[in-house]
Amino acid sequence: MSLFFSQLFNGLATGLLLALISTGLTIIYGTLGVINFAHGALFVVGGYAGYTVYSLTDSFILAIAGGSAVALAVGLVMERGLMRQYYSRPPEDQILVTFGISIILVEIVRGLYGGISYSVAPPDWGQGIARIGSLIYPLYRLETLGIAAATLLLLYFVLYRTSLGLIVRAGIEDAQMVNALGINVKRTFLLVFGIGAMAAGFAGVINSPIVALTPDMGFRYLVDSFVVVVIGGVGSFPGAIIGGVIAGEILSLTAMVNPQYSEVMLFVAMALVLVLRPQGLMGQEGRE
Amino acid sequence: MKDKKTVGQALQTQVRRRSVLKAGAAGIAGSVLLPGTARVAMAQDKKPLGAWPAGSDGDTVFVGLTVDLTGPYSAQGAEQQRGYELAVDHLNSGDPILQKISPNLKKGILGKNVKLGVADAETKPNTAVQAGTRYIHDNKAMMISGSTSSAVAIALEKVCNREHTPYFTAISGSNETTGVDCQRYGFRPCYFAYMACKAIAPVVAKEFGKDCRAAYLTPDYTYGHTTTESMIEFTEKEGWKTVTNQVHPLGAKDYSSYLINIANTDANVLVCVAYGADAVNAIKQAQQFGLLDKMKVVVPYSPAFLEVELGSELIEGVIVGQGFWWTMEDQYPIAKDFVAAYEKKFGGKARDSAMYGYLAIMAWAAAIERAGSFYPPDVVKSLEDGSVLEIPVGAFTIRPEDHQGVINFPIMRGKKKSEMKNPDDWYDIIEIVDGKEVVPPLGLLGCKMGDYV
Amino acid sequence: MNTTTHQTTAPAVSDTARATAARPLPSGSALRRQWPELLVGLGLLVAPIVLPLLGMSPDLLTRILIWGLFGLGFDLLFGYTGLLSFGQAAFYGVGGFVTAYLLTDGLVSNMLLALLIGTAMAAMTGLVIGYLTLRRTGIYFAMSTLAFGEMFYFLENSSFKAYTGGENGIAGVPSPELSLGFIDIHIGSGWPMYWFVAVIFFLGYLVARRIVRSPFGTVLRAIRGNAKRATALGHSIQSYKLTVFIVAAAYGGLAGGLLGLFQSYMPPDAFALDTSAQLVIQTVMGGAGTLLGPLLGATIWLYLYEGLQQVGSLGPYWKLILGIVFVVLVTVFRRGVAGALIDFTRRHRRLPAYIDAGASTRVASTLDIVPPLASSRPGAPVLEARGVSKHYGGLKANTDIDFTLREGELHGVIGPNGAGKSTFFAMLAGELPTTTGKVFFRGQEITGIGVTAVCQLGMSKSYQINQLFEQLTVRQNVMIPVLARLRGRYRGDLLHRLHSDKLDEQVNAAIAMVDLAAHADVQVAELSYGEKRRLEIGLALATGANVLLFDEPLAGLGPEERVLVIRLLKSIREGRSMVIVEHDMDAMFELAERITVLYEGRKLAEGLAEDIRHDPDVQAAYLGGMDDESA
Repeated sequence: MSLFFSQLFNGLATGLLLALISTGLTIIYGTLGVINFAHGALFVVGGYAGYTVYSLTDSFILAIAGGSAVALAVGLVMERGLMRQYYSRPPEDQILVTFGISIILVEIVRGLYGGISYSVAPPDWGQGIARIGSLIYPLYRLETLGIAAATLLLLYFVLYRTSLGLIVRAGIEDAQMVNALGINVKRTFLLVFGIGAMAAGFAGVINSPIVALTPDMGFRYLVDSFVVVVIGGVGSFPGAIIGGVIAGEILSLTAMVNPQYSEVMLFVAMALVLVLRPQGLMGQEGRE
Repeated sequence: MKDKKTVGQALQTQVRRRSVLKAGAAGIAGSVLLPGTARVAMAQDKKPLGAWPAGSDGDTVFVGLTVDLTGPYSAQGAEQQRGYELAVDHLNSGDPILQKISPNLKKGILGKNVKLGVADAETKPNTAVQAGTRYIHDNKAMMISGSTSSAVAIALEKVCNREHTPYFTAISGSNETTGVDCQRYGFRPCYFAYMACKAIAPVVAKEFGKDCRAAYLTPDYTYGHTTTESMIEFTEKEGWKTVTNQVHPLGAKDYSSYLINIANTDANVLVCVAYGADAVNAIKQAQQFGLLDKMKVVVPYSPAFLEVELGSELIEGVIVGQGFWWTMEDQYPIAKDFVAAYEKKFGGKARDSAMYGYLAIMAWAAAIERAGSFYPPDVVKSLEDGSVLEIPVGAFTIRPEDHQGVINFPIMRGKKKSEMKNPDDWYDIIEIVDGKEVVPPLGLLGCKMGDYV
Repeated sequence: MNTTTHQTTAPAVSDTARATAARPLPSGSALRRQWPELLVGLGLLVAPIVLPLLGMSPDLLTRILIWGLFGLGFDLLFGYTGLLSFGQAAFYGVGGFVTAYLLTDGLVSNMLLALLIGTAMAAMTGLVIGYLTLRRTGIYFAMSTLAFGEMFYFLENSSFKAYTGGENGIAGVPSPELSLGFIDIHIGSGWPMYWFVAVIFFLGYLVARRIVRSPFGTVLRAIRGNAKRATALGHSIQSYKLTVFIVAAAYGGLAGGLLGLFQSYMPPDAFALDTSAQLVIQTVMGGAGTLLGPLLGATIWLYLYEGLQQVGSLGPYWKLILGIVFVVLVTVFRRGVAGALIDFTRRHRRLPAYIDAGASTRVASTLDIVPPLASSRPGAPVLEARGVSKHYGGLKANTDIDFTLREGELHGVIGPNGAGKSTFFAMLAGELPTTTGKVFFRGQEITGIGVTAVCQLGMSKSYQINQLFEQLTVRQNVMIPVLARLRGRYRGDLLHRLHSDKLDEQVNAAIAMVDLAAHADVQVAELSYGEKRRLEIGLALATGANVLLFDEPLAGLGPEERVLVIRLLKSIREGRSMVIVEHDMDAMFELAERITVLYEGRKLAEGLAEDIRHDPDVQAAYLGGMDDESA
């Protein structure tokens, strides 16, 4: 029984982290309608940048800031330089160009850092093990649970309680109208893309004490993010959270029964959602 | 022949005629000038095989490398490439080390220079096969080498077998490469799962105790399953109990679910079968879950650079098997030369991946010198003749029946950080395993060789 | 088969004849129509001579052709029908592994038979996956194909390991051998393999071309252009989508089988997401919707892939350069490289862009009208709504409306904004199911049976916002409804010729009726708004409907065009019954015999146009009931 609860709890923690990773993807898709295939690469870029800052300053907080800042910068450059031209182009073109950008980013990382993996040690306040009843759990993972929850809350606040967030959500509904109302949608889109990229980079740094940094790691997270977003609802921020938790639980609980099937179960769940309720659990019907 | 000729066949017939004339002329000359020598064996009916004779007609021979420059094993692939390049350097310049390795080796191969081509296999069998066949067809490669994944190695050895071109693995851990999938033109110089497990089981039984309870983390692919099987077999012979086998998807990032399962057992040894970054993540996360407080770690078949990626804190006390470690220079003069040459050319210490690349070139070159010809069946037969080379891990030979390298390798223990004499001094060598003792009995892994032609 | 009633519309015929006489019909048009096939055939013959000069080996060319073949099917699915699938690797893998397994295990010794079985298995897989995934569209469809593709990849490595060799794949696939009775042809590697694959590719290309120029192919284009309208014009688009999905799967399976034969090795990565992604990349980069785009894209991608690695100085950076080149290509060539080439040649040869050389413009007749199923007499009810209501939760859009359209009548429906006209109209047209109440068409209940069925019965709607096929020409637009009437809701006529006299004469008649003969070969996107509006009506007419519903036909028209359309509406009355919803009161009173007024979801008034005009309740409703006391 305690095994079950351990796995259940683990699924929640994993899930919230997945949710955090997926939020950037769903924000960008929801607002700009762009499927950002470079999402995984931005995750990697943030992680490596964070590692570099950490090795220079020995401060995990600075690493988080550094990694997020670099990812934000890359995102802004991406949007301003390329993505802007692609809003009017069909979705497959957007997929392709972001895919191409992801190749470029990953190979630049490999060129700078080589193929050997890099580990970031958990910060001092994250070392050791926490005991919750009979459950043993790494302290850092608990903290990521907290960090993920806090960040998601912050994002929620920005999206739902600020005027910027209002514009973003209005833009999700009807970008043309927002533009017609005199709001500089271009600048908003730039900011949204940057925020989405930054979220990915932030997640990359947060994740690095748990998973070693390799240049190719982003692809797996990209695919998992898609699953989360589809299950939760494309373009829905709360959906990303729900979807993430569900995905995390699927991975954990399947591993309890038959570990070999844990990853494929994600796809089965995704297929089920798509066949039965394609807009996802929290998405709006008709949104494509 | 009754068959209708295609364009290709027509071309081939022409080539055949040309080489028959050549061979015929040489044969006559040979039989007049050097009676009774092997030269007469150049019979009238040697058909072109693979890239022969076109690839060896000139004064350069081409070797095609299919290494992982990108993908999850790009670190190992890059290291392999360095080994190959060092070998070709030594061969083309006639470095004195050649004579120490084998009396057959001279400058060049049969007087010809060696040229390398490097293709990125991306750890994908299809990409590797594409590159390999391109090298054979377009560049007239006389040898193909390079691999980290067994799937790539097996695919390449089968294709090279069809093309009658010798193929040497660099790294290939799965039993099948010289087992059920063995090929007449495929060679595996490096050690592999069976050998590693057989060797390491008694060592860890001695180090950790005879009644340990082992938990396995097994990646879900052929290499993972066969290694775990072998390890279970040999450790249970030593008295160990297998408590659980957690099979995880290859490339999994998060091992928490599997580690929680393991934590809920009474296992006190963690056997990490995963390779590459998977091993790093598994061990890292095991430590974060506090498992390493009560469990010891064994990595029977360790990837190169594991110690660098884990760091001294995590590698401390871990028992691993690798193909080579640079402190072996204290025991083998060749190792000393090899490590020094590598350090001079590339900086840093050589690792097993580089040694395997180096070894493949040397073994192949020596075989050709003995055969006196590049004719593929002759080269293969020469490789099967049981000659011994002196390499950085000691004496090395290839078993003719399954083309498995009989090679020594070290079992090592990770050092405490305070005991590291220099930044590269990661391991204490517990034992250098004699390859002869741990190769599988012939026929055990089901190898049935094909034809030479 | 419906028999048709011919009605005379004399002036239109001579106009058409005059217009068409001026249009040049190129001689040797049959050959002209086949020029892409000739070009491709020539290219395949010439490639072995020219391309090696660029450093392309026979192996590379064969590989490119295999991707090209894979892409032919995918382009039909994506370029022509607009369905972006990220799971084509599943079919490539199934076809490839079935073929390889049969040949290596010796179960089937005839290579062609093994290829056929592999292709058939892939097609069946396509049927299953297509059935599950095609229920959705757009990004959902793409994601579900991705999910299924990944599931197949997993299955290949686990449950079916014994057959597929797991991550080792199947090696030792025997080289292809063709036994033609008395001759045995052994196809060795190198150029013989190229020719073998080239022949198969060419055959595949011929078939794909036929599909594209068939009635089936035209409907595919309509689905891509405006799926909703294609459905409304009488096509059962789900059946078309599933069929083309199966065709794409078959092409993929054949390509996979050839890969195994070519390499003597069937790799496990055939099933990987990478493979599906590479197919999409190559198709979009080469140019979707051209059939040759994937081939061109494969040439560029594979050439760069190999070529960059051979530049020794690049080392592991080759992939970075590839990524950069790729991004540049996608950014610069908006419709792919093939698209850019086509645009270039079109501009330079100054061809009117989209002349459909197969169309015969000489034949003309009058537009057929679907005859009523039951005998009818003037004044009999043709379209009836009985007690129809539509409630959305608490919102009552329509409540308890009775409505009758009589044979030969022109009936108007008016009402202020928010009266529920659009909802009511949608229910009348069978688009929307009612909450309560039923709708009858000539005595047959049609409540919510769907627009396709309704169209096939003989009723069609023209939309308030133009629902046209913008990328197609006027002629091609009008073909869509005519095809539905001539062929029913679905016909698998993939290999038939598109043009027949029957088709062309009906299309010409419809075009003439809405006075667009001069613009017949103009792309709709380039028409003026008024012309588009006329075409909108023309599409509804071309279905042959005998009952027509017009949703604000005059919306957005200028005064001159308004007059034209009113005249048009009057001119088409013969043999048809019509319902018009309009805001333009003058037009309404001019056109309609009877008018129904809706207000706040209910029927407020109904009667002759004159009476409605003077009805005080109606006036009050429009003025918002300001002066309740006014007489």
